[in-house]
Amino acid sequence: MTWVAVAKKDFSDAVQSRSLWALSAFFILLSLGLTYGYSEFEFLSAGTETTIGGLVFFLGGIVGLFVSITSIVICYRAIAGERELGSAKLLLSLPHSRLDVLVGKVVGRTAVLAVPLIIALGLGLSIGIIVIGAGSILSAVIFLGWTFFFALVYVSIIVGLSALVSSTTKAAALGIGFFFIVEFLWDGVAFVLLFVANGFSLPTAAPDWYFVVTQVPPSNAYFSGLVALLPDVAAAVNASTGAAGFDAFYAVPEIGIVILCLWLIVPISIGYTVFSQADL
Amino acid sequence: MVAIQLDGVSKQYGSITALRNVDLTVESGEIFGFLGPNGAGKSTTIDILLDFVRPTNGSATVLGHDAQTESVAVRSKTGVLPDGYHVYDRLSGREHVQFAIDSKESTEDPLDLLDRVGIADAADRNAGGYSKGMTQRLVLAMALAGEPELLILDEPSTGLDPNGAREMRKIIREEADRGATVFFSSHILEQVEAICDRVGILNNGELVAEDTISGLRASLETDSRLDVTLENADNGAVSAAEDVAGVTSAIQDGSMLSIALTRESKYEVLAALDREGYSIVDFTTDESSLDDLFAAVTGEPRSEDHTEEDAAAAPTEVEQ
Repeated sequence: MTWVAVAKKDFSDAVQSRSLWALSAFFILLSLGLTYGYSEFEFLSAGTETTIGGLVFFLGGIVGLFVSITSIVICYRAIAGERELGSAKLLLSLPHSRLDVLVGKVVGRTAVLAVPLIIALGLGLSIGIIVIGAGSILSAVIFLGWTFFFALVYVSIIVGLSALVSSTTKAAALGIGFFFIVEFLWDGVAFVLLFVANGFSLPTAAPDWYFVVTQVPPSNAYFSGLVALLPDVAAAVNASTGAAGFDAFYAVPEIGIVILCLWLIVPISIGYTVFSQADL
Repeated sequence: MVAIQLDGVSKQYGSITALRNVDLTVESGEIFGFLGPNGAGKSTTIDILLDFVRPTNGSATVLGHDAQTESVAVRSKTGVLPDGYHVYDRLSGREHVQFAIDSKESTEDPLDLLDRVGIADAADRNAGGYSKGMTQRLVLAMALAGEPELLILDEPSTGLDPNGAREMRKIIREEADRGATVFFSSHILEQVEAICDRVGILNNGELVAEDTISGLRASLETDSRLDVTLENADNGAVSAAEDVAGVTSAIQDGSMLSIALTRESKYEVLAALDREGYSIVDFTTDESSLDDLFAAVTGEPRSEDHTEEDAAAAPTEVEQ
């Protein structure tokens, strides 16, 4: 397995890019701004007492959007860009399997995204802990770990998409298309699915599977997973996933963890299948 | 021991046939020149050896491993200078070579390899700022990492000035002396002629010749020409030259004798003239170049620089 060499190369390449430093600065400002806003303005804490847990869920609700957009920007060229430019020939002249290349890319780009992200959130939370002083530090640590996993999942999705095509134009279209359909417009998609499945009319009550459909977008699954990992904190700050109205065994916040794991595996596997058979 | 073996390899891109039923054997330890005009299928062949593309038909074996199913094993023993590559603009020369060394799980010092290709002084500059020739040297250094058993070099002298091309040939020879097999493609014939043990000529996706350069010459009956200037040229000198085995014709033009002959009989002719009492003032010799062979094999007039002098060297014209 030579993916370590690929990941190291990919990371040191990105570290020398100005945009990574701009991204880090942006994340830090965002995190500090959100922490400040949460601790200063009552209406942002939704009427509950300001606690670390409250800050965690406040940040969690916003981080999903930024991680999805930045991972598309950082990763859409990961494979397609190397194929388009011709550096893929340099890379694959060395004894890397195409699986090594994909795994190395996912690891390297996760580091590129997660290092500034975790540093920025860690900084924001540390200041929050000092300023607010109430609530468990453990919830902050769990939040950071779960957010790191979410960044890994999103990178894996976009690298998987990038492995499907040989031009950056197509890869960008796939990444943006994914964001629009699976994140931005998903409520509409879910609604259409419900409408069609019910024989082109609206049911009086949504069926149980509808809850699973609403959890498909990775950022929704991320938020539900956070609720599942920090149930007491979630209850205290009134963070909910919409699972309450359904009574099937799978209509629980934990479904978010399962769905995020599927997002980690499925797109990259499809990407690998296509990439491993492609002519460079 | 066979380094590269292609059996009936074909590659079809849609309706375009890039390679047609190519059989090729490269022995371990030899320097093999892979020739052909641009678009003949040289890069496609190399891409198949490295599993960049998959053959439509046939099989390729490199260093005893199947090129498709055991590609990582092939590439771990092979150093490659690919065609149409791009370097990582933001990484330094040293980082590129270190990446190759790490990937090969080797332990050399990147600076030694950069020094060998003559760009050690640029080791810490970003490769994005390198000239084309420096980039080519950098990728050669990457190819040399891990003392590969086989070097596959696709158009290695691209972007190199004459001095750089000479250094490239020197490195190729050093690698061959170390015991490595060298397989390189080129459309620049002089360079192939200078260092290859054997050559293969590819044209329109088909291998049209595979032989040593002298073997190719012999099979194509392309002769050499010897021009001798004598103090006292006469008919006797003409018949003395014609009596030597290997001479096909000798014509006198004033004090000069133009003799068409095989390469090996040149010395014999000079010795015979001397024996017969002719005193040699000067002589020049002209061999049919690989250009001529190439044109004969691929059926197209190759050289854009075919001068009148070259045309005069063609055996048929000697008879005038």
